[in-house]
Amino acid sequence: MAEFLLEAKNVSVTFGSGSTKVEAVKNCSLTLRSGEPIGIVGESGSGKSTLARVLAGLQVPTEGEIYFNGEPVYKGSKSYTGEARRQVQMVFQDPYGSLNPQLTGLNAVAEAVRIHDKTNKDESENRALELLRRMGIAELDAIKKPRQLSGGQRQRVSVARALSARPTVLLADEPTSAIDQSAQAQLLNLFRGLLDDGLAIVLVSHDLGVIRYLTQRVYVMKDGVFVESGVTEEIFNDPREEYTKLLLASIPGELGVAARRKLNKI
Amino acid sequence: MSTHVDTKPKSKKKFIKEGTFGIYTGIFMLGSLVLAGAIIPRISKYGPDELASMPLAPPSRANFFGTDVLGRDVFVRVFDAVFIDLGTAIIGVAIPLVVGTIIGTLLGISQNKRVNSVVGSLIDGINAFPFLVFVIALIAFIGPGVGSIVLAISLVNWARYARIARTRAVVVNKQGYVEAARTLGFSKKRILFKHIIPNVSSETRAYALSDFIIVIIAIAALSFLGLGIKPPQAEWGGMIRDGKDLLTVGFWWPTVFPGIALCWAGIAVAFISEGLTRRMREVGTR
Amino acid sequence: MSTPAKPLIQIKDVVIGIPHKRRPTLIIVDKANFDINYGEMVGIVGESGSGKTMICRTMIGTLERRGGKIMSGEVIFEGQDLAKANDATWKSLRGKSIGYVPQSALAGPNPVLTIEAQLAEALRNTGDTKNIKARSKELLDLVKIRRVDTVMKQYPYQLSGGMRQRVMIACALATRPKLLIADEPTTGLDVTVQSQIMDLLKEIRSEMGTAIVLISHDLALIDEVCDRVVVMHAGATVEVGSVKELEKPRHPYTIALNSSRIDVAKPGSELVTIKGNAPSVGEWNPGCRFAERCSIVQADCKVGVHPELIGASGTHQSACIHTELLERI
Repeated sequence: MAEFLLEAKNVSVTFGSGSTKVEAVKNCSLTLRSGEPIGIVGESGSGKSTLARVLAGLQVPTEGEIYFNGEPVYKGSKSYTGEARRQVQMVFQDPYGSLNPQLTGLNAVAEAVRIHDKTNKDESENRALELLRRMGIAELDAIKKPRQLSGGQRQRVSVARALSARPTVLLADEPTSAIDQSAQAQLLNLFRGLLDDGLAIVLVSHDLGVIRYLTQRVYVMKDGVFVESGVTEEIFNDPREEYTKLLLASIPGELGVAARRKLNKI
Repeated sequence: MSTHVDTKPKSKKKFIKEGTFGIYTGIFMLGSLVLAGAIIPRISKYGPDELASMPLAPPSRANFFGTDVLGRDVFVRVFDAVFIDLGTAIIGVAIPLVVGTIIGTLLGISQNKRVNSVVGSLIDGINAFPFLVFVIALIAFIGPGVGSIVLAISLVNWARYARIARTRAVVVNKQGYVEAARTLGFSKKRILFKHIIPNVSSETRAYALSDFIIVIIAIAALSFLGLGIKPPQAEWGGMIRDGKDLLTVGFWWPTVFPGIALCWAGIAVAFISEGLTRRMREVGTR
Repeated sequence: MSTPAKPLIQIKDVVIGIPHKRRPTLIIVDKANFDINYGEMVGIVGESGSGKTMICRTMIGTLERRGGKIMSGEVIFEGQDLAKANDATWKSLRGKSIGYVPQSALAGPNPVLTIEAQLAEALRNTGDTKNIKARSKELLDLVKIRRVDTVMKQYPYQLSGGMRQRVMIACALATRPKLLIADEPTTGLDVTVQSQIMDLLKEIRSEMGTAIVLISHDLALIDEVCDRVVVMHAGATVEVGSVKELEKPRHPYTIALNSSRIDVAKPGSELVTIKGNAPSVGEWNPGCRFAERCSIVQADCKVGVHPELIGASGTHQSACIHTELLERI
């Protein structure tokens, strides 16, 4: 049993070449233990989404390795296979592109259930409805097409779909950015419940408020590099880097106000 | 006092969906044309290639649309042409639609730079030419006839669909649900056929509807130029060609009636296309 | 607040509907009620579909273009009822006394114009065509854009989302409007950018005395930045008050919204969420439209018309008819 469930070692991702070269991720290393919630925080363009996709097996790193349960994930251009593939799932940022517009929520989740459980139509639909119910999507809404659902509902259907594979790791790329405050709260509660069930979560966000609520450790990313990392609580109370302080000061509401007050006093 | 001019909440009244008029009108028009095309040649007294009466007899109770320069009944000829004209057009749209969508989609999701570059250039190259000109040039090569028309049109038209499909496929490929399908371990085949192609073909199918009109007219034009469907088979374009020189001397019926049939088909499809667009627009507002 | 509370624009009992050729009019706002005073920053908070954007449109006159119609009520701007305004009136107001900044993701500077051209167009709207270049640079300065000369020559695609929003704000300020309406200006932008833009808005308010309406779904943000808050739910104004007054909300919806804020939540604790979803347009029940989601709902909440705002304008108003039960929440 490897020490870490998921590990990134010296991962770099470079797009393009010559004059159009973009180094999205530069030599990043991170670890994730079973059942642990960690965060990757940074602004747009920091490379956090790219890194998340590398962890999910969707983007081959230019350099470095990803290990799942001690085994390397990438072999050439292929990534996760077999058991490992189903254990690492991802929820994407844009709720409007996260669901196939032609499938109802139920069909989308049932399809995933059928593939993983290898059951027939009825059984997979039952399990799908159960998963959706757990995500707060009633049967009435499950049979709707995505365009009839709100952003928050779409995100929850996406989570239900990801859960159908019974994953041990869930990567969430800015899941709360495009939805209402009240929908955000619902989604975060769901994630917290999943943590209680033993799921490890990697939360990628630009909002430290959300990170603080959910994670135990956080990596602060800027321009492809981790500038700071550590226990979330400590980063909040005693940020070392200027950039981290800037992020703290920008959190909307009370947290940001408190952070600014503290920073101005120093 | 607030004015509740509105519907009671949870009203069960069934609303007429936007665009219904157009869609049903178009279907009705096409349907009646096809029906006439099936029935009339069967029940008509005259065959499409028979001498019916005096040449160039004006419309009368015996010959509703008059007779053409060879004495054939224009009425039965107009409707005899329905199947061949519409049928060829349907095939001329269906083949490029399927081929173009598949090739375009594969190109859009391909990571292979060389293939993308080569096939992409081919597509752009074909699209650079005006449609009809290219088709005519090809027919000059292949020779006239129904088969040639379909072949020539397919060889040119697939590229137009492929371009639409490629652009769309690139976008669809990046969408969350496709990436999710990958992390969920779906097979490549499933992802392509159940997730990517359906969402790409929604655009190419929409294009196909408007393309249908172009193809109908192209077939008629080709026959008009003598490059298409061989006589004596009745065909609108051919009939218009045969009759055009007679217009100036007052014999309008051999040309006008096939012309009306052509327009009727085109307008019917336009109605359907417009109706569908309106309906999609309404659904899209959320 | 040192500026006297004098209303600049008053929304009174406004009902907005979308008329349709073959169907009954769809009512989407019923009723909206609030005042914006001179020099004040007011936040309008609500979920999507609460009608907050529609109200916005009545204030800038784009309602009709979007198919909406004011069914009843008044929109009084400096003594004029905008609900009855015609095109000519709007031409003299829109972009002049009332400025608008749209949501970042939905609209932005014209992609085919350089920033310089964009600003020039906005400035021409003032009627004064002298010194356009200098005044353009001044505007960019006002929105804290550095490297003004470089930016003037750039196209929108070369700028980040935050910069583009600043340009939009600059264009809106060209005519030194009395009222600036910012419709979710930072939704979709990073929090760091959001924080900067909020600081900018606050400065504009204090330096130029512009009244600002900030539309958002984020109560924490509004709390931090605005003077007063208007809470909308399913097309109705349910609570109005100063930020201080809303620390003790008097409507179950506001209480619920407040409790679902993560900036005040304890990490890892259960977040309070609002049960269900707001009723969609066309599916409104009689009575209070929050009834289905309310934890202190009573029988009389579900009948009749939606409760009106109780309390005089300028005080802490609430549309709940059972405020005596609020402690139970």
